[in-house]
Amino acid sequence: MPANLCITPDLGKEDMDPEVSTRMIILSSKANVSESEVVNFLHMLNLPITIKWTCYGAMISGKDEYVREAIRELRKLDHYGIFTKERGFAPGDPRRCRGHRYGPREGFHQMEKEFRILDYVGEALKNPREVEIEKKEPVSVDYFKEILEEENKKEDDK
Amino acid sequence: MVKVAIYPPNSLVLADLIERKGHTPLALQKQIRQKIKDPEIDSPPMNITEEDPINGLKYAAIEVPSGVRGRMSIIGPLIDVAEAAIIVDGAPFGFGCVGCARTNELSIFCLRKKDIPVLEVVYPDDEDGTRLMVNQIMEFLDSLPGGGGDLEGDSDVLGEPIANKGGK
Repeated sequence: MPANLCITPDLGKEDMDPEVSTRMIILSSKANVSESEVVNFLHMLNLPITIKWTCYGAMISGKDEYVREAIRELRKLDHYGIFTKERGFAPGDPRRCRGHRYGPREGFHQMEKEFRILDYVGEALKNPREVEIEKKEPVSVDYFKEILEEENKKEDDK
Repeated sequence: MVKVAIYPPNSLVLADLIERKGHTPLALQKQIRQKIKDPEIDSPPMNITEEDPINGLKYAAIEVPSGVRGRMSIIGPLIDVAEAAIIVDGAPFGFGCVGCARTNELSIFCLRKKDIPVLEVVYPDDEDGTRLMVNQIMEFLDSLPGGGGDLEGDSDVLGEPIANKGGK
């Protein structure tokens, strides 16, 4: 496993630019767009950004202003099905990219968990309504005693 | 626009909801990126420099393991600049990126101790729970100054980069 831990990447000029940011675009499973549509749309914007097609959606990297513009335009496709977050590493960085590693990248497991509730989050944003959740409370001691006594009585009667 | 600390600090749902309301999420990724761009570190951010545990002394005592202090040197500056916080409680094992229970406890303690509005929500596992969480978060974000932005992200989507106060 040392290869995983000791990669010294050959970082490009863009990777070292402090103005460059990377965003992950994650689609919920009820999104009205597919990954390929998202990627095509991003290419059609004709912005100077790096676009990577991924299994969860896409990843874009470039100057902050262009990335911001791309996200703003992209959200218009589906307000409630497209989610984005910042990413620390550039697309394809050998320290994170699964293609250069032996297992899932760090952060995958949390994204997997959050992906499961993305549909519900989108639905809650689209049709907000009040909900009340009843908290399940433990059985009271008195009730528990009552049941035990009843059961004991039944046993004794036998 | 308010800088909102989130816990777990890399949460997609929290960061996205905060951006939708026009605030700035204090996500850990921005801090990590600053480390990645440091040409002096061979394999960032798996390597911490000797300065990191020293910077972490601002948040944890010397007896505290260096792992906690090293982590706090990255998370601590986010807590310092936070003007509000959203914490997810009761999350399943593996939720969050910190990988250290003591750092999680210390960070949440620091956020609670700080005199800022804090919202604590329960990690949802069904539709109603998620609705409740989203409603609570949206209500909280609306109550913050400069909140109530629209969903189209017309306001500042990405926010200003955070100064790495605790870094080199």
